Amino acid sequence: MSGAANREQVFPTRMTLGVMKGKLKGAQTGHSLLKRKSEALTKRFRDITKRIDDAKRKMGRVMQTAAFSLAEVSYATGGNIGFQVQESISNNARFKVKARQENVSGVYLPQFEADINESINDFKMTGLGRGGQQVQRAREVYSKAVETLVDLASLQTAFVILDDVIKVTNRRVNAIEHVIIPRTENTISYINSELDELDREEFYRLKKVQEKKQIAVAAADAEAKAKKLKAEKERLEALESKKAQLEAAKENGENVKEEIKETEEAKAGVVEESVVEEEKEEEEEQSGDLVAQTEDDVIF
Amino acid sequence: MEGLFFNIDNGYIEGLVRGYKNTLLTSSQYVNLTQCDTLEDIKLQLGATEYSSVLSDINETLSTSLIERKLNNKLIEEFTYIKSQSNSTLTKFLEFMKYGYMIDNILLIISGTIHNRDKSEILKKCNALGWFETLPTLTIATDLTSLYETVLIDTPLAKYFQSCLSIDDLDDLNIEIIRNILYKEYLEDFNNFAKNELPTPSNEIMERIINFEADKRSINISINSLDTELSTEDKLKMLPNIGLLSSNENIKHQLASITDLENLQVLISSIGIYKDIFNESTANSNDENGKSLEDFFYEYEMRLNKDAFTQQFTFSTVWAYIKSKEQEIRNITWICECIAQNQRDKINNYISVY
Amino acid sequence: MALEAKNRTLLACMGDDDTITGMLLAGIGQVTTEEGKETNFKICNDDTSSDELLKTFNSFINRNDIAILLINQHLADKIRIEIDSYSNAFPAILEIPSKDHPYDPEKDSVLRKVRRLFGDS
Repeated sequence: MSGAANREQVFPTRMTLGVMKGKLKGAQTGHSLLKRKSEALTKRFRDITKRIDDAKRKMGRVMQTAAFSLAEVSYATGGNIGFQVQESISNNARFKVKARQENVSGVYLPQFEADINESINDFKMTGLGRGGQQVQRAREVYSKAVETLVDLASLQTAFVILDDVIKVTNRRVNAIEHVIIPRTENTISYINSELDELDREEFYRLKKVQEKKQIAVAAADAEAKAKKLKAEKERLEALESKKAQLEAAKENGENVKEEIKETEEAKAGVVEESVVEEEKEEEEEQSGDLVAQTEDDVIF
Repeated sequence: MEGLFFNIDNGYIEGLVRGYKNTLLTSSQYVNLTQCDTLEDIKLQLGATEYSSVLSDINETLSTSLIERKLNNKLIEEFTYIKSQSNSTLTKFLEFMKYGYMIDNILLIISGTIHNRDKSEILKKCNALGWFETLPTLTIATDLTSLYETVLIDTPLAKYFQSCLSIDDLDDLNIEIIRNILYKEYLEDFNNFAKNELPTPSNEIMERIINFEADKRSINISINSLDTELSTEDKLKMLPNIGLLSSNENIKHQLASITDLENLQVLISSIGIYKDIFNESTANSNDENGKSLEDFFYEYEMRLNKDAFTQQFTFSTVWAYIKSKEQEIRNITWICECIAQNQRDKINNYISVY
Repeated sequence: MALEAKNRTLLACMGDDDTITGMLLAGIGQVTTEEGKETNFKICNDDTSSDELLKTFNSFINRNDIAILLINQHLADKIRIEIDSYSNAFPAILEIPSKDHPYDPEKDSVLRKVRRLFGDS
């Protein structure tokens, strides 16, 4: 179940990771929706099956009554009217059905409705000489019976369609639950591990680069310091020699004393300056580290 | 006097029919039938009657239609036997009886021709009582004109067609209208025959029966055509010119022109014997358990048939027997149906007079 | 699917004589001259072979204007395999009892499917 065996073939990039995360989210939403749909349909389905059972039994009785009304007809007419009835059929049925759609959780269930065209009566003349009333009554009884049959047919069609839809829905629910979601999750963890690996490499590389840089910087610093120190030294020496000259001349006058003092002060100022510069450089290095750290934060 | 010569030709038939009559189910037998729980029980009960011979060889599962078919076979068997034993006037009388069924058969074939149905299928559906030799040849015709000109002309019913229908009518008119027009012609012709050629008292009884039949059709047609767009003229064409309702030209015309049920009921109730027909029947309401108009007619008809047996030396006993038998089969079918369809509350709607 | 249902307005029926008569009385019948759509009902009795039933059955379920196909249960029994394996939503197939053959829920394809799904027989 792990890793390479069950995942999608993707490049482990940040973008695909985003896509995969979206996909997982979609799959989870879809799963819960479908699950709910399936539950709603199943509820309806159970309801329908129960009603089919009742309706079928009822139909048995209704048809018996209807058959009996036909018996009354043959009793009254003293013969079988079947043939006459068959021969008087016209080219337009009186009893038709209309299909209405009912929406149950996005499934369209046809609902048949009796559509009787009262103006059509092919049997007005049937039984004119005898039994006409019985014929008309049988006609009504049978119309009622057929209406029951139409209701039953609606239920039955709903049953067949729902049966089908529920099967499909359940198949989808299971597919999402047991195939798509695990696979997406696997893909995501694969991409994550791959990205981690890349990050670690990157981090290591950065560290390495920084190290090299630091060494180079340190070397450059040392050189610059050495140069500075040398220059200072030379200056000091120059000042020293100047001082010696002045001391020698001290004896010559009071003014010289003051000049010495000045030189001393300048000397101290130069030393101070160089120290401040060093501190500044150190501060710059620290801020560079911070930038690297924030970059790391972004990565993880 | 008539009894003296009646028996020379028809004595055997009358004896036979009266023998048959005794096999008709009695009311106690009907009660037994209504107590049955299954069709098997019915079969068992009927096994004790004349029907045992036709029912005993059923091997398949019982159904109402199967029982009905078997019982009908028995009726046809008997009718055929009576007819083969008859001669002269009685034969003619029996022919007339058949015409009624023949009308139905011919119309069946005509409608089959119009709709290009398989002819052998239709022949199977024909009522065997209305079978005649040229019936199968009717199926040869492929279109109405040839059906009419070459085949129909030769059938015994041709006269009815000729007198009232043209070839165009066959094409245009609803088959039910044709049926009723033919039936009207038939009833009038039958009535004529009964009046003029049958000896008394057969003619009196038959006239009564035929007139009632005519009234029955008149009432039915006028009630059943209320919701249709049939015109008064159309209706007049179908209403027989005999019977109580047609004895008065005025009544007949009203019968055809009235367009609402209430007035029709008032009109029909004005005739003596039909006074109570709408009180007893609930044709206008939807009360399921009440008697229907048909029940009333059947019952009245059966009473007439029963009365027919009280006279001796008549042809009408044959009519009465066949009609009683038909009713009996309807009754049994009804009871079977009630049991099969679990509608026991209506099981007592059969009509039993013997 | 929605569109498909809209154009289906007819009921079709395969059954014995009485069932068909009753259904026609109710007014479901439609006879046209259009090829393949002549009638939407078919009388089948006990002699009708299962091949013929199957042919009718297939022609009905392949018509695009039929919403519901009614079939007598005893006829459905003869072509049970096809009905059991039929799974389309349209047309809906409904097994109905006939006069001589009362309804038996145990045989109904859809009811059996229901039972199988919930395992409560």
